[in-house]
Amino acid sequence: MLNRNILMNAALVGAFLLMASAAQAQCRSFAKNKCVPELAPYKFNESFNGAQLAPGEEAEVNLTFFSGQEYRVLVCAHPILGEVNWKLVDSNNKMIFESLADQPKKNFDFKAASTTQMKVVIWVPPMKGKTDMVHVGCVAIMLGFKE
Amino acid sequence: MRTSKWSLLLAFIPLFAACSGGPSEQDELDTTQTTDSTQDARLQKTRNIFYNVPSPMETAALLKKAGAQYNASILNDVKNVDKYTSASKQALNLGVYGADLSYASVFNQTQESMFYTSCSKKLADRLGVIHAFNDSTLEAMESSMNDRDALLDIISETYWSMDAYLKENERDNISVLMIAGGWMEGLYIATQVSKTNDAPELRQRIAEQKLSLGDLIGLVGTYEGEDASIGNVKGDLEALAALFADVNVGGGGATLTQENGVAVIGGDAPTAALTDAQLAAITAKAEAIRTNYIN
Repeated sequence: MLNRNILMNAALVGAFLLMASAAQAQCRSFAKNKCVPELAPYKFNESFNGAQLAPGEEAEVNLTFFSGQEYRVLVCAHPILGEVNWKLVDSNNKMIFESLADQPKKNFDFKAASTTQMKVVIWVPPMKGKTDMVHVGCVAIMLGFKE
Repeated sequence: MRTSKWSLLLAFIPLFAACSGGPSEQDELDTTQTTDSTQDARLQKTRNIFYNVPSPMETAALLKKAGAQYNASILNDVKNVDKYTSASKQALNLGVYGADLSYASVFNQTQESMFYTSCSKKLADRLGVIHAFNDSTLEAMESSMNDRDALLDIISETYWSMDAYLKENERDNISVLMIAGGWMEGLYIATQVSKTNDAPELRQRIAEQKLSLGDLIGLVGTYEGEDASIGNVKGDLEALAALFADVNVGGGGATLTQENGVAVIGGDAPTAALTDAQLAAITAKAEAIRTNYIN
């Protein structure tokens, strides 16, 4: 009986790890197929920045922008999540750009006049209506630059 | 003209041969999955660091814009590829050759790009990143040799695939060393180029690496203690950071304005610059660290 429980637990852990790995692979595939093309005509900066998020969850990432360069910041969410909120803030947390779920803007294009570090903050709004299903989907933050 | 092209090709054959062949021994670096309690913190930290460390391609493009010239003699010799029998050296030099590949490709050196591709593939194979860097990648690059933009796209996608593959398979330690090796090679190239082309914009780009260096140290630090090689790399980076300590760059707030319909983000930090002494010290340190990595 004990052995059976151990085997069951091991199988569950294995299945969980497999699912997590598969989800991450799907996130990469999603970012590659659906998000990277939307960066054009900017050149993708080669960094894989994707995460599986659920409604109510947040993520934030730092970005460095170099003076004289033109950039596109793109936030790309899987349709299962619907639109997400995101903003770009400077090192003092002052908002530079914001996209809200009810008025979404997928990308923000700009030129960096000076070299600076900023942060992209993403938060997935709660699902509308009551549901027992937890929807988890890939959210990718992509950075493109012009050569 | 035709003769000279063939001569060039023949001259490169031994170099190309140096980057082909079978796998060699692995060593002490743990290349298996990591599942300790700091995994979540690492994932968060890794996401942060990938945004802060410019990719080799982006760095090479910045160097070209800053007026840098192509200098093949400063790149890692392709013959060195067989020296790297330890997993840590393979990972570091996968980053080094990746940066050399980006540098050669951005400057449209297609023949040399192929050699560095071959070296990178060899190291990727040894590290088990075969899925992300296969024969079809090489074939696609060969058929795009005369199309620089297509070639850069393939290189970008390959780098991205390798990075993603390592993360998906929880081999972040290999990914971190690859990133550190690539970053160090980018700084080494920039500082070597500045010896013969000491332009203010190039100095500025070197000074701005202080921002990436801080994040890179943070990422590498999360693995300190698990692998001696990673601890050593962190020590190298911290020694370098000490030389950047007095460099002012990229702090403060940002302002958003519009110029001819284009959003422009400016900041209140002064343009980064390096004194002669700072540049000399950073150049010497970068050279010493990089020499240690490639030998």
